[in-house]
Amino acid sequence: MILLQVIVSGLLMGSVYALFSSGLTLIWGMMNVVNFAHGDFVMLAMYVAFFAFTLLKVGPLLFVPLAAALLFMLGVVVYLGLVRHVVRGPPLAQILGTFGLALVLRYAAFWAFTANFVSLPDNLVGGTFDIGGLRIEASRLLGGVLALVITIGMHLILTRTALGSRLLAVSEDRSAAMLMGIRPDRMQAIAWGFGAASTGIAGALIALFFYISPTVGESLALVAFVVVCLGGFGSVPGALIAGLAIGVIEALSGYLIGAVYKDVLVYSLFLIVLWVRPRGLMGTS
Amino acid sequence: MKHWPIALAGFVAIAAWPLLVHDVFLQRVGALVLLAAISASAWNLIGGYAGQVSVGHSIYFGIGAYAALTLYTELGWPPIAGAPIGMVVSMLIAVVIGTPTFRLRGHYFSMATIAAAELARILASNWPLVGAAVGLMGPPRPRSVADLSFISPVPYHYLFLAALVALLGLTWAMQRSRMGYYLAAIRGGDRAASSLGVPVLRYKLYALLLSAAFTSLAGSLYAVMVGFIDPESALGILISVKMVIVAALGGAGTLFGPLVGAIILVPLEETTNALYGGSGTGITFIIYGAIIVFVARFQPGGIAEIWRKLTERRPTRVS
Amino acid sequence: MFLEARGIIKAFGSFRAVDGADLDVTEGEIVGLIGPNGAGKSTFFNCLAGDTQPTAGTIRFLDRDVTNATPEDHARFGLARTFQVPVTFEDMSVADNVMVGAFLRHRARAAARRVAEEVLDFTGLSALADTPARSLGTPGRKRLEIARALATEPRLLLLDEALAGLTPAEIRLAIELVRRIKARGITIVIVEHIMEVILSLAERAVVFHQGKVIAQGAPRAVVDDPAVVSAYLGHHMKRVRV
Repeated sequence: MILLQVIVSGLLMGSVYALFSSGLTLIWGMMNVVNFAHGDFVMLAMYVAFFAFTLLKVGPLLFVPLAAALLFMLGVVVYLGLVRHVVRGPPLAQILGTFGLALVLRYAAFWAFTANFVSLPDNLVGGTFDIGGLRIEASRLLGGVLALVITIGMHLILTRTALGSRLLAVSEDRSAAMLMGIRPDRMQAIAWGFGAASTGIAGALIALFFYISPTVGESLALVAFVVVCLGGFGSVPGALIAGLAIGVIEALSGYLIGAVYKDVLVYSLFLIVLWVRPRGLMGTS
Repeated sequence: MKHWPIALAGFVAIAAWPLLVHDVFLQRVGALVLLAAISASAWNLIGGYAGQVSVGHSIYFGIGAYAALTLYTELGWPPIAGAPIGMVVSMLIAVVIGTPTFRLRGHYFSMATIAAAELARILASNWPLVGAAVGLMGPPRPRSVADLSFISPVPYHYLFLAALVALLGLTWAMQRSRMGYYLAAIRGGDRAASSLGVPVLRYKLYALLLSAAFTSLAGSLYAVMVGFIDPESALGILISVKMVIVAALGGAGTLFGPLVGAIILVPLEETTNALYGGSGTGITFIIYGAIIVFVARFQPGGIAEIWRKLTERRPTRVS
Repeated sequence: MFLEARGIIKAFGSFRAVDGADLDVTEGEIVGLIGPNGAGKSTFFNCLAGDTQPTAGTIRFLDRDVTNATPEDHARFGLARTFQVPVTFEDMSVADNVMVGAFLRHRARAAARRVAEEVLDFTGLSALADTPARSLGTPGRKRLEIARALATEPRLLLLDEALAGLTPAEIRLAIELVRRIKARGITIVIVEHIMEVILSLAERAVVFHQGKVIAQGAPRAVVDDPAVVSAYLGHHMKRVRV
């Protein structure tokens, strides 16, 4: 029973992983750029949620969309101001660009918010459910289910809408897309907006049940890398499955061999995947 | 090389530095500049010359640092004796990280390096043999000269200078040899390089092995000088970040770029740390981050590129 | 046989870009691979160069099976190539680009330098030796790619649309260069869109259509072959309808 409990909480965490990882995989698959600041975007969204609650007294119903909107704007600004330029440069510039951004965000957060951990009150979203003996906190349930729904929604936007096919056209063949009257620059800015908005929602949702600190983005970024590599680059369904899997693996290893080693297991898994299935477990060649 | 007179003048100035300034803080900054130049020049071999950007070089730095002090705490050897052992272990780890990821294109190598370095940091933080989260101390007072434990920074200055000269000499020779041309070709493009018979994987690995060995040496030298290490100061992600920034600001893939970067950034960091104390580290890294964003956005070639444009006549567009 | 490709198939999923193509090349000749867009000649070319491995079939070069050999090994065996879209080493000077090729057979810098200088002279790039490759235009880049490949001292040179995108005057210069390369005893296989180039340069033309070789022989005769005419015409008709 405890094991089932652990698996369920792993799945709920995993669906949030899936959500922000699908933002990373979208950008990566579309323009072959890795956003090394992705985890720090999540961190910012967590602080947005925290301050929206403590300063503006607004609840999750408002601060989740607020974080999504703010991060969407951040994504677009980062694309227009930085990424658009560094992609034309050498590979070193591409990596340094977003890596430097990660440092600025992380240490600016340190400076502005101090290194102290903060968190939202436990009872922000009701108490704990008891479903057939399984005890699940309402905040985790809300976060997990909402993340799952939004990840699936993102997949549907990419595969079923005109906007999605335009985004896809740019990632397949930039110049052909231009001939069809699509402006790649605008599409890529939108992709960055979406990618960042996914961290906005995910960050605001994690903040419901997770501690908030300036460095929390570092380990979340690594989780996103693992998820994207496992799921295959550019694949949202892949990110969903891989995200859930990582959530469960983390929860189980935390329970069975100790919290310290759950990161060890996840990072080792990542390196092993790079060894044996470099294109991802579910990725196509 | 048309700029030998400038290089020679620079060398004389660096060699004379601790004799010219008598302030211990400034002498210490001088030694730390050289140490940062060693690790950034070592990073430069793989990240600059071969164009394979590692953001997890702290793993080799940490192995060197831990090798030095573990040998002291476990066997009572002088810490510097750990340097060659650290270099060998680092090269083995480099093979494990490099072999699979160099087959892949793009950012895989960069990401694998971060994950491996984080893994090493977590493992060291939980391994009692290497002091776990507390870390390790060197000899509290020198037992002999072999402990290389001095109060003044000056002996370290010359120790580091010797290591840096050896590394830059090797890099210079490498740059002019077939390997230098092959690495530049690999940086220019794997596909074209291999079409000309360049064994791409093998040369990336050579560069990483050299790079790992010298980064490890820098770690050992750091441990010898400071006499205390913990997982953050020897294996933290910021160690890796500093190497990348120092090299990129000065000019990745150039002989003197990392040294120039170190001359600019280390005094900056030491000054902010001195002014703001513990919180200075945070400010330092905001500045560091802003600098690399700026370099990436406007001048990916670093200072070396500006220098090149100033000293060479503008290349004219030809057929 | 100098170069011998037998039953080459290259499939991408269910689509066969090359579908059972054969090719024989004798030493010292210039062979032109032609065909409408999407005929499979470029894919076939990449199989010869070792850039992709065929799904089926064998390629032998100088009695050695090179079907699955790496691009590095191709260069070592004496099979050099250029790229359709030139990929010069942008940060290096023109001379250093050529040095990379020369280092394949000369370990010492001075020896590699001598080879590079000779090749630069032969290809008419000596005056540009010290300029960075990134300052070259398309004709310069294409010439540099040829120079770099020659510096590996190949027996066979594979040219992938080495003349595309050049002006008529530049094409004349390039044709003259290819003739001089042949005069050095280097065999040449060239993929080309421009029919005039094949007519004036190649001694033998091999026509691809839908992944197969549909005709080969003297370029003049091949151009008049009804099967070739209909392949090209059919292609044009399709394009008109689109």
